Amino acid sequence: MIEVEGLSKRFGKTQAVAGLSFRVEPGTITGFLGPNGAGKSTTLRSILGLVHPDAGSTTVLGVPYRELDRPLHRVGAVLEASEVHPGRSGRNHLRVQAAAAGLPVSRVEEVLALVELSAAAKRRVKGYSLGMRQRLGLATALLGDPEVLVLDEPANGLDPAGIRWLRDLLRSLAAEGRTILVSSHVLSEVAQTADRVVIIHRGALIQQASVAEVLAEAQGATRVRSPDAQRLHELLAAQGATVTEVGDGALAVDLAPERVGELAAANGVVLHELTVESATLEEVFLELTGGGTTE
Amino acid sequence: MSALVRAELLKVRTTRGRWASLIVIVLITAIAAAGQVGSATDEERGTVEFMADLVGSVGLSGLLALILGITIVTTEFRHGTVTPTFLAAPRRELVIAGKSIATTIVALGFALLSLLIVAAVAFPWLTIVDASTEFDGEVATRLAQQFLAVVLSGLMGVAIGLVVHNQVAALVGTLVWIFVVENLLWGLFALLDIDRAVEYLPFRALDATGGGGGDQTLSYGPALVVSIVWIALLATAGTIRTRRRDIT
Repeated sequence: MIEVEGLSKRFGKTQAVAGLSFRVEPGTITGFLGPNGAGKSTTLRSILGLVHPDAGSTTVLGVPYRELDRPLHRVGAVLEASEVHPGRSGRNHLRVQAAAAGLPVSRVEEVLALVELSAAAKRRVKGYSLGMRQRLGLATALLGDPEVLVLDEPANGLDPAGIRWLRDLLRSLAAEGRTILVSSHVLSEVAQTADRVVIIHRGALIQQASVAEVLAEAQGATRVRSPDAQRLHELLAAQGATVTEVGDGALAVDLAPERVGELAAANGVVLHELTVESATLEEVFLELTGGGTTE
Repeated sequence: MSALVRAELLKVRTTRGRWASLIVIVLITAIAAAGQVGSATDEERGTVEFMADLVGSVGLSGLLALILGITIVTTEFRHGTVTPTFLAAPRRELVIAGKSIATTIVALGFALLSLLIVAAVAFPWLTIVDASTEFDGEVATRLAQQFLAVVLSGLMGVAIGLVVHNQVAALVGTLVWIFVVENLLWGLFALLDIDRAVEYLPFRALDATGGGGGDQTLSYGPALVVSIVWIALLATAGTIRTRRRDIT
């Protein structure tokens, strides 16, 4: 659906993207993650034919974006909220894009209603809040009713209600069978909406997997608490496990919870707690990317 | 292609700056026409030359067409609207063609507006002072030349905008080139004893396509050819530059 193959791009001294390859499967929401400056925008702009890669290739729906016939009918994109003429009204901005795509004016009113911007449509964009600009950007992307959506940080500038609204909108768009690639540096957002994630750092791929896989892989230790912690510690250590006392009579063990429970039962040790310390996507992300930004 | 031209015309119509150009066109052509009628003697008013010069005022809208051409390109880079524009039409040469056609249409509109203003000022005045009005093929030719000159000015603007994407640099640079650089070059050419070279400078050649004649200007045919060659050279360089540019 979207394929990036060996993509590299340098701006002056900055290697923005370095040999990046990944695939976005049809009908999924894929979160495109990385810290600020990781090369997300450059990658998305390369996919959309706006940036010329130094090496590698990108295709959307099987062809380079530039070769798509009637591209706005196939692919919708939200890049930066500021890419609107400030002196033009929201409605006129959409009418310009609709005209370029050969779409009827009635479609403009439909997308305005969809993003709940009809009331502000005749105001000049200069007076819009960042959240309103994001909505206008989404309306622009949805004009051609495209099967693929590419969104660069669409949650930026949205208030909590707006973020919730965006999440619901993305889910309903995905439920209609659309493919969505959405970049973010805010992981909690993506964790709640995406099926899959592509994580990049310093322009290179770190991981490409389903959200569940990433979380499972980063599964933390098993936490076990027992009134007889000393005995349990010895039993676990005898199995070759690494055991750490984490206070309050609790132990952290690098064994699956099933094994810990079986061992305790076989030896008649009473357990008060047996849990898996699952990492949040945020923690996984920080771990994978070394915690720092490249800015 | 027609969709892109419609989109470009809509862009021109939906920003406020365009109304300002119309007001400027109305004012400068009205003043120029009034000046010509007012300063002519009764005998002069009855001549074909007078009428040809009068319709020559239409050429004043060429400067506005030039600014339109520059801004129709550079506004996109200034406000970042080039991103949605190229998303809608990723083959950038089609966008450039659309802008060129839209500029031609609007430039013709500018010239027509100028003509209407000249007529609205001159005819009541000439009727009141009871001057005879003379028309012949020469006046019609001059008028056609003016319309073409205004269109060429617009296309020159598009070509400049494609080379210099920064709006302020393109506008200021063009005005400095017209009013300072070409005059300095004139002086330099005179020193080097190649005076006639000045006639081949882009804006002197473009000016000569208005058909007004004058010292140190090419005659109509060569002026037209030289102007078109300049526009084609700039447009080619600008198209290459614009196609290659990374839109970040």
